[in-house]
Amino acid sequence: MSLQAFSASRALSIGVELELQLVNTHDYDLVGAAEDLLRLVALGDKPGEIKPEMTDSMIEVSTGVCDNYGMLLEQLVDLRDTVADAARRLNIGICGGGTHPFQDWGERRIVDRPRFHHLSDLYGYLAKQFTVFGQHVHVGCPGADVALYLIHGLSRYIPHLIALSAASPFVQGHDTGFQSARLNSVFAFPLSGRAPFVETWTDFGAYFEKMTGTGVVASMKDFYWDIRPKPEFGTVEVRVMDTPLSLERAAAITAYIQALARYLVVERPIQPAEDDYLVYTFNRFQACRFGYAGTYVDPETHWHCPIADEIDASLTRIEQHAIELGVDHVLGRLRQAVREGRNGAAWLRERHAAEGNLPEVVMAQCTRWMEGEVV
Amino acid sequence: MESPSSLSLWPAFLPLPAFDPFLGFALALVFTALVGEVLARRATLPRVSGYALAGLVLGPLVTGWFSAVELERYRGLVDLALALLLFELGVRLDLRWFRANPWLLAASAAEAALAFLLSLGALLAFGMDWSPALLLAAIALGTSPAVVMRVTAELRAEGQVTSRLLALCALNVAYSVILFTLLLHLARGVAGAGWLQALWQPFYLVAGSLLVAVLVAGAFALLRRLFNPASEQGVVVIFGLLLGALAILSMLKLPPILAPLLAGVLVKLRDPRPQLWAQHFGSLGGVLVVALFMFSGAALYIGHFGTALLLALAVAVARSLGKLGGVLVCGRASGLSTAKSVALGLALLPLSGVALLLAYEAQLADPALGAQVLPVVACLVAVFGVLGPVVSQRALIHVQENRKGEEA
Repeated sequence: MSLQAFSASRALSIGVELELQLVNTHDYDLVGAAEDLLRLVALGDKPGEIKPEMTDSMIEVSTGVCDNYGMLLEQLVDLRDTVADAARRLNIGICGGGTHPFQDWGERRIVDRPRFHHLSDLYGYLAKQFTVFGQHVHVGCPGADVALYLIHGLSRYIPHLIALSAASPFVQGHDTGFQSARLNSVFAFPLSGRAPFVETWTDFGAYFEKMTGTGVVASMKDFYWDIRPKPEFGTVEVRVMDTPLSLERAAAITAYIQALARYLVVERPIQPAEDDYLVYTFNRFQACRFGYAGTYVDPETHWHCPIADEIDASLTRIEQHAIELGVDHVLGRLRQAVREGRNGAAWLRERHAAEGNLPEVVMAQCTRWMEGEVV
Repeated sequence: MESPSSLSLWPAFLPLPAFDPFLGFALALVFTALVGEVLARRATLPRVSGYALAGLVLGPLVTGWFSAVELERYRGLVDLALALLLFELGVRLDLRWFRANPWLLAASAAEAALAFLLSLGALLAFGMDWSPALLLAAIALGTSPAVVMRVTAELRAEGQVTSRLLALCALNVAYSVILFTLLLHLARGVAGAGWLQALWQPFYLVAGSLLVAVLVAGAFALLRRLFNPASEQGVVVIFGLLLGALAILSMLKLPPILAPLLAGVLVKLRDPRPQLWAQHFGSLGGVLVVALFMFSGAALYIGHFGTALLLALAVAVARSLGKLGGVLVCGRASGLSTAKSVALGLALLPLSGVALLLAYEAQLADPALGAQVLPVVACLVAVFGVLGPVVSQRALIHVQENRKGEEA
């Protein structure tokens, strides 16, 4: 089986997918309500999509293709209001966060769709353990080779994106010590991790054919890479983020990715090399475990510094591009959050210390997600 | 003949043991718990069906282990068990839901009204007089809160059908008690007890229960600042609070149903935080629940069968049709698929303790009327108390809302 052609898309257009948690409002455990919610939501002619996910206490909302941050935020707010309204009619809560803090994975049910049943048969309990919630961001690329350049360029910013979005410190009722424990669930899958180091679509096609030849994969969907090309959309898809606790943070992270992509594509500041990936899993782990306080190792200079400093530096590097894209104010607020050490994981731990129990933390998460934050 | 004392191993200086009736109760409790457990393990039936079945066997109908007098002796226990379950049910009912989805109230009104009207029609068609027929229909429109709470807890059920089941049950229990009181006193008003009295009674029921509920909910809110309701001391505090409420209700001659339910609703309305106490207040509450179902089963007399059985079957069919129809009519509009609406209608069928309490009340107020009402209710409870939980359980498993037990 050969790889499909890479469709062209508007350069630097953006789109977001968010996996969301459905919880009951009695004890705030996950609840199997995806089918009920999907029956109720009607987007009408508004852009975007609301879809089921692997288990029945998850849904995924996705925007259409957006030109800029303003358009994206507007679509996300519409999607949020639509699902929040349906959720209120069902007396359930919807929230962000990369994991549900105390659900029992054994109680999850696989959604009745052929693809999910297939995955459940293949992966066994991993499928139910995959009840974790991520944010995926698509960035439009004018061509396939640019997409591969962008994949290798953005892979240096994986720790930044993990630290900014980290919102999964609790798993199965315990504090894991991680800021993003969700990515540990993703790592259990055999085809997770990073994309191979190839720089042209021809070479990528050759790799893909070798893989399908082994019978291990049938389509691009079988790769669970942190960043992967999405040829049918003509985009690069960044998949390392936890779903943030608020839609505003999700939109800000998307703006950051868009500005990074513009910087990379326009300035071509790096020469990608296989050796860039020597520090990749170390950096990724540091970000998951310690968030902003983790150590970042520069792939070229091997310089060590806190991830927070490197995010700050990156925001300075891409400032001009942020201004061109009209998101400098958004990234300014993000910089402030980094300096104050604010992310989802920190907030969840604060709430837990204040409330003393996890159900009340989830209740606060629902309010934060459904009612939004002042931008 | 040898004297007994020379044969007996019992030393003469000790007093001869006298049978303590409490031993009979204790043995019955063990037997009941065992029947529930065996049915649950062997046939995956709800434990409450086993408890009710054991009660049926222990009661005057089969073995006569319990007599009517003994049943009255443990009435306080039954009341406390029921009050605990109703308080918990009230806490599960968030009134804000009705503002977000008014169709739910329509579904509730439809299923209760249809169950009432169809049951009434069936009884009149079988030649029953208006007064007992109205009272019976008012009892039949309710759903057993105890069964619903137990069955959902046993399955760890969660989902749309489960939360609607609990909400509709809480509402129809309230309708049933209020309507029953109104009709009972109207019937007596017709019989010459005075109209003012007839209209005063339901008002007194609602206002009095609300007052006690406000007291309980207020006290709970205060105590929650001091005690964690999930801790052992917290459970003791809640028990004490409800016992106090029962005592006040008994002083005020109010039934122990509406007030605990309303108290729970007020607690949730005032404080939407999750209430994290152990379900049914842990093991102590568990003992009370077993006793509750045992007694509801044991309330059947041999004399109850006969024409009452036929009437009960008519009501059973009418009530089932009413509940299913009412829920189905509003299902789509309230956001429930047809399959789930059917499951909800079926899950609403159990009838148990509250129905019996109301029937006893009718008998107390007017023995002649009670003699017509009680036998039919006893038969209904025998059917819906044993089979109802099974139907509820299967319905919830069918729509995959159980988090424990078999995958449907």
